[in-house]
Amino acid sequence: MIPYERTRQQTIPNSAVKIIGVGGAGANMLDRIALDGMEGAELLACNTDVRTLTSSVAPEKIQLGRNLTRGLGSGGDPSLGNQAAEEAELEIRDALRDRKIIFICVGLGGGTGSGAAPLIAQLARDEGAFTVVFATTPFNFEGARRREQAENALAELSTLANALITFDNTRMGELVLAKQGVHEAFSAADRMVSESIRAVTRIVMRPGLVNIGLDDLMAALSSPKSRCLFGSGIAHGENRAQQALKNALVSPLLDRGSLLNDTDTVLVHVCGGEDMTLYELELLMRGLSKHVPETAQILFGTSVDPAMAESLSVTLVSSLPEDRLRADFSKSVSTKKAETFNDNDTGESESSEEALPEDEGSLAETTDPVSNEEIAADNDSSAESGQDSSLVKQEVEQEEDEIIVEASEDEAQFEVVEEESQPGAGSNIRIKVKELPQSQEQDQESLKIVPDEEPAPISDEDLASAFVEAVPSLEETGQSLDLEGEDAFFAETGPTGGPAPIKVESLEEIQASAQAKRPQGELALDGGPKGKFEGEDPNLIEGEDLDIPPFLRKKK
Amino acid sequence: MGKPRIHVGLEIGTTKTVMVVAEVKPDGSVKILGLGETSSAGVRKGEIVDYPQIRACVKAALLKAEDLSDVDISSVFLSVTGPHIEGLNNRGTYRLPEGELEIRPRHVEEVKEIASDIAIPSEHVYLHSLIRHYAVDGQPHATMPTGLMGRKLDAEFHIVHGVRTRVQNSIKCAREIPLDVDDVVFAPIASAQVVLERKWKEAGALVLDIGGGTTDYVLYVDGAILASGCIPVGGDHVTNDIHLVTHLPLSKAEQVKKTEGCASGDPEKSDGIVTVPDEGGFPDVELKRQILNDVIRMRFQETLELVKERLPQDGLVRVGKGVFLTGGSSQMAGLGELAQDVFGLPVYKPESPDVSGVHAYIKDPQYSTALGLIRYAQILEEERPNSTAFSRASGFFRSLWPFGG
Repeated sequence: MIPYERTRQQTIPNSAVKIIGVGGAGANMLDRIALDGMEGAELLACNTDVRTLTSSVAPEKIQLGRNLTRGLGSGGDPSLGNQAAEEAELEIRDALRDRKIIFICVGLGGGTGSGAAPLIAQLARDEGAFTVVFATTPFNFEGARRREQAENALAELSTLANALITFDNTRMGELVLAKQGVHEAFSAADRMVSESIRAVTRIVMRPGLVNIGLDDLMAALSSPKSRCLFGSGIAHGENRAQQALKNALVSPLLDRGSLLNDTDTVLVHVCGGEDMTLYELELLMRGLSKHVPETAQILFGTSVDPAMAESLSVTLVSSLPEDRLRADFSKSVSTKKAETFNDNDTGESESSEEALPEDEGSLAETTDPVSNEEIAADNDSSAESGQDSSLVKQEVEQEEDEIIVEASEDEAQFEVVEEESQPGAGSNIRIKVKELPQSQEQDQESLKIVPDEEPAPISDEDLASAFVEAVPSLEETGQSLDLEGEDAFFAETGPTGGPAPIKVESLEEIQASAQAKRPQGELALDGGPKGKFEGEDPNLIEGEDLDIPPFLRKKK
Repeated sequence: MGKPRIHVGLEIGTTKTVMVVAEVKPDGSVKILGLGETSSAGVRKGEIVDYPQIRACVKAALLKAEDLSDVDISSVFLSVTGPHIEGLNNRGTYRLPEGELEIRPRHVEEVKEIASDIAIPSEHVYLHSLIRHYAVDGQPHATMPTGLMGRKLDAEFHIVHGVRTRVQNSIKCAREIPLDVDDVVFAPIASAQVVLERKWKEAGALVLDIGGGTTDYVLYVDGAILASGCIPVGGDHVTNDIHLVTHLPLSKAEQVKKTEGCASGDPEKSDGIVTVPDEGGFPDVELKRQILNDVIRMRFQETLELVKERLPQDGLVRVGKGVFLTGGSSQMAGLGELAQDVFGLPVYKPESPDVSGVHAYIKDPQYSTALGLIRYAQILEEERPNSTAFSRASGFFRSLWPFGG
C-alpha cells in the first residue's frame, strides 16, 4: 500500500521538480539524465564517496557522512549509509524545501543507496513533496546479500514514497544485453531510468487537451512491488502515429509490447504538433489495443505542443505486479516452445500461414469495439477541447472530486469511474478526461494514454539504441515473444516515416517477412528468395537449394 | 629443357579473370613476368553464361598481361571448374602374361588404360587421370613399378571428368581470342600446386579453394589425390545471402561482408551494430552484427560441411597436415576458426601479401589458381620426357599423366 494523501501539490502543474541521485548507481543515473538534458528540473547528487561525487555532473552535490565515512564509501553497509544520511539531514532538508515533486534515483543493494534513500524519501515527504522513487535492484550475480539489502530497502521505500518504480537489473540484463558487458548492462539501466523520469515529468508538468495528472500516473503505477512498464517513442512524417507507437513499444521494459498483455491499466500520452489529427489518434489507439487486454483500463491523455512541429510522440506507462511478471514469463516461454514444436511439425510455410489468419482474426476482433469507443472518446475530448472554458470546468470538477475523495476514497473512485465512462463503453477502455482520484492500490491498474509534448528530448539516437537493445532481447532470450502480435504489428506499421535509421530486424521478423513476401500461389517447395540467382536452375544438393541463404532455410 | 620456358595460366573465375605470365628457368625457379586481371562478367558459379561478355574480359586480361610482361602470348594453361566436374577413384588390375615376371613399361601402360577405363557418362569427358598408386602382387608402390618382379600389377587412379560441352565453353572462349590451350586443369588441382609443398601432400592435406562462385576442394593423402570436386557455392552466395536477409543492396552487402563480417561464431565479434553509410545522403543503414555474422557463418558452415560429407569416409583421418584455405573468399574473417570447428584439423590460411609489386601476387590467395597453373605447367614439363606418348593426345583429352606423386 502506498499511503497517499491528496494535497494541493498534486494539482499544481508547474511544480518545482528535483531529481536526486543517491549512492553510486543513483549518481550514474543522474549523470545520464543530465547528459540527456532535462529541462525544468534541478539535479542533486548525494553520496558518501567523494570521488564519485566530484566526478558527477550534477550541479548540486551533498556529501553524506562527512565525519562518519570521511569521504569514503559506505562499504556496502546500509546502516552506515543511513547514519551518513542522518548526518547530512539538515543539508538535505534545505535542498528539498519547497519542491513539489521529488524523484529519487537509487541503485539498491549497496550501502549508501539502500541506507540513505529511505531517509531521503522520508525527508522529501516531510517537506511536502510528491515523492517518486526509481530504484534498481541488483543483478543476480551480485549475490544474495545485496539482494536482501535491496529488498529491505524496497520494503521501506514502498511505504515512504508516493510511488515506487523498480527496475530489476537482472531482468534488464536479460532483456537488453544478455551478451554484453556488465558496464553496458548498467548503463542501459541508467538510460531506462532517465527516460522514465523524463517522460513522467513531461506527463505531469505539461497540461494537455486531455490532461493527465499525477493521479493518473499513480493509478498506472499503483501496485507496490511491481515493475514499471515504460515506453516512449517519437516519429514524424507519414504514418507517424504507428511509427511512434512502434518506437514506444520497442522499449525493453515492455518486451515489445508483449508484457502489456497482462496489465490492468495503461497510461497513454500522445503529444503532437498542431496538425495532429483525430484520425491519427484513432489509428494509434487501435494499434495499441492489440497489445493490451480488452479489460484493461486505458488512461488516455493528449496534448498539442507547437514545438513538436510535425512530430508525434507516444508515452506508455504501466506496471505489472512482480509475481505476475514471473508467471507470465514462464508462461510465454512455454507457449513459445509449443509454437516451435508446431512449426517443426507442420513446416515453415504452413506455420507462418497459420499465424497470419489468426492475426487477422484478432485484428478484426479488436478493431470494432476500439474504434467505436475511440471515436466516441475522441469526439468527447475534442468537444471539450473546443471550449476554452473546459479547463476551468475541469478544475472545478477536480476540486469536487477531491472533496468526495476525502469523504470516502474508495467509493468516490468508483463513482468517478462510472461518471466518466463513455456512452458506448460496455468495454473497459476509458478515456480519462478528468483526474481520477488517486487510488492507493487499485487492483485494477488503469491504462492511460498521455499525449505529451516533447520538445524532442528523446532523440532519434535514443530510440535507435532502445530499439537495438530490444532486438537482442528477442533473439537471445527467445522468450515471451508473442509472435502473433509481432506479425500483426509489423504488418500494420507499413512504410517508415521519418529519418529513423532503417534497421534490420530480428531473425523472426526477417524470416516472417521473407515468407510473407513469397507470393501465395507459389509452391512452398520452391524455397525462398534467391536474389541475384533468381531465375536460374535450382542449385540442388541433397534436397537443399543452395542459392537460398542457409540463414533462411535453416531455422535455428 | 635447358632453355627458359614461358608459361601462361588463364583462370576464368566467377569474380575475376586472371592471366599470369611466368618464366620457368632451367633450374626450376619461377619468375612472374606479369599478371593481367579484369573483373569477370558473364560467369556464374564458375561457368560461362554470357559468352560475348566473358570474351571481352579475357581479351582485356590478355592485353594487360602482355603489356606488363612484354611477352607475346600464344598459348595458355586453362583452369576450369563447375559443379559438373567430379573426381572419382578407380583401380585397374593387370595380370602379367604367362612367362613374364618383370614389369615392363608396356605393362604399366596396359594397367593405366584398364584403370582409367571407367564408365563415365557419355556426355562427360576426362580432364585428368592421375595415378595414385601402383601395387605389385598386392604390395603398394608409390613410384613406377617397372623393373620389379611380379605377377599382378594394380593401379589406382583418380579420374576427374566433367560435362564435355561445359568444359568446351571455356576452351572455345580462349581459342577465339585466339589462344591455344596447352592443357585444361581442374582449378583446385592447380591451386594445390602452389598451396601445398610436396611433403604436405605426403602427409595428407585438404585444400579448399573458396572462390567467388564455387568452393573447390582437393584432398591429398600419401602424396596422391584421394578426392576432388566442386560445390557451387562461393563468396557471391554470401553476399547474396546478406542482401536477401538484410535487404541491403548487393554492392553494400559485398562491402559489409568484406569489412565487417566474421564467420568465427565468436560471440565477442557479434556484438553491436554495423552502420553502413549512405553516400547519397539517405539515412545510414544499421544492422546487427549478430545477424550479419550468423548469415555468413551459416553459409560457410553449410558449404564446408558439404565438402566434408563428400570426402571419403577415412579421408580426413588420414590427413596429417591440415586444411589449407585459399581462394578470394578465404580471406573472410573468422573462416579459419570455422573450418577448424568443422573439420577438427589444423587450418592454414594464406598470409596476406606482405610485399608489393609483382611478388605480392604469389601470396595472395586470390591468385592461387592462376599461379598454380604455372606450377602445373612446370611439373608437366618435368614429367613430359617420361610420358611423351601420352601427353597431348588430343586437344584437351589429356590422358595418363602420373601427376601428383
